[in-house]
Amino acid sequence: MNASKPEPARGLTPESAALVETYFARVHGALLLAAADECEETVEDLRAHVYEELSTTPGTSADVTRVLAELGAPEALAAQCAESVDVPPAARERESEGSPLSGRVLGIPYELRLPTAGRVASRWWDPMDPHVIVPRVFGLGWAVNLGAVAVRLGLIKPDDEDVPFASVPTRWLAVSAVLPVLVAVVLGALVVRYQGTLPAQVAVHWGITGAPDRFDSKEAALILPVVMTLLSLVVVGMAWLRRRPPLSRVASGALAMFLCTVSVAAYGQQVATAYGAGSTEVLFSVMGAGGVLMFVVFVILARIGRAAEMRRDLEKTSKRGSVR
Amino acid sequence: MGNDTDSRLSQFRKGVVELAILALLHRGEAYGGEIVERLAGHPGLAISAGTVYPLLSRLKKSGLIDSLWRESPVGPPRKYYRLSVAGDIEFTAMAKAWEGVTDAMDELLGEGALR
Repeated sequence: MNASKPEPARGLTPESAALVETYFARVHGALLLAAADECEETVEDLRAHVYEELSTTPGTSADVTRVLAELGAPEALAAQCAESVDVPPAARERESEGSPLSGRVLGIPYELRLPTAGRVASRWWDPMDPHVIVPRVFGLGWAVNLGAVAVRLGLIKPDDEDVPFASVPTRWLAVSAVLPVLVAVVLGALVVRYQGTLPAQVAVHWGITGAPDRFDSKEAALILPVVMTLLSLVVVGMAWLRRRPPLSRVASGALAMFLCTVSVAAYGQQVATAYGAGSTEVLFSVMGAGGVLMFVVFVILARIGRAAEMRRDLEKTSKRGSVR
Repeated sequence: MGNDTDSRLSQFRKGVVELAILALLHRGEAYGGEIVERLAGHPGLAISAGTVYPLLSRLKKSGLIDSLWRESPVGPPRKYYRLSVAGDIEFTAMAKAWEGVTDAMDELLGEGALR
């Protein structure tokens, strides 16, 4: 990365160059703290711009201070930048042509950059992008853009919310975090109620016909659902503790709820099979319900956000109207 | 080669679409669907909803346009977009620059360039 640095010292005194470098080192540090590594490119551009500006001046320390003052405090700049990438225009995000870590093999998109909360969220909910099937956040293949589905079903308009879920009151945002907890409680209740009554060996995999084709001890079979549930709750907790933008919080909540539902579905099917059910109805109906519920959470919150924006604007105009 | 041509075309269209949106809003405010529809009426621009909405969001973020929910004469309220003061200034500057570009390109392309 250092190799691509713009020529720093040309026409600048060492003190001036050091001032610029110190400034950008502080921006860099603040970005690391904000976990906004995606800003690096913008910041590099900015730095090149600063040197360009300085090349038209004598390049004294006073010039440097003046140019840097226009950018504001390094921490504020980093915060502003971090905010802008957290809710990225997904289209631009998806273009990311330069990196070899994302692209296509045999026409199938792949993404090997580590997912960030913002990127995950904008794949699942990006009403402005009309594509329903979008490249996956991590790995190979595609994901579903539920935002585009909602637009196609006529439930929302692409531009209903300026920034997804930004106007939704916190108490409603919290609903998206409470739901996965509730589903986890359901799983807990099922385990308490049925774990003792299960036989030592339970089904963990089912064939197309609905007949179980793989078995495991009931203790081992419990590990996956429980771990998946706990992990997804941790992700939601992190999104709230780290004060991620509303879109990230809602998406982590909705996804966690879906994963918790899958756990309930898997455990429920184990129980059903042990009690003599011949089909995988429980597994698929509960999983399907989880998927639908996830979509409903997104849509309802988007409409609450739209209503809040609408109320704000309509009140403003009616007030103005009454003054006239 | 066809692919290269496509990507080059989409490169220069990107900037133009921004100016097209500003020009449209310069004539008066409009809501999202209306903007999409009216721009789609110019097939040469090759604009779809997928390009318009992200651009509207970006123009709003950079303060060139404002949006406001207002009662619509028919149906539910709509989000209307209009140029901000900064957007008006930017549009005038861009339109002037565009004139310069088209004059130059007319000259360059006009002298039987396609022959």
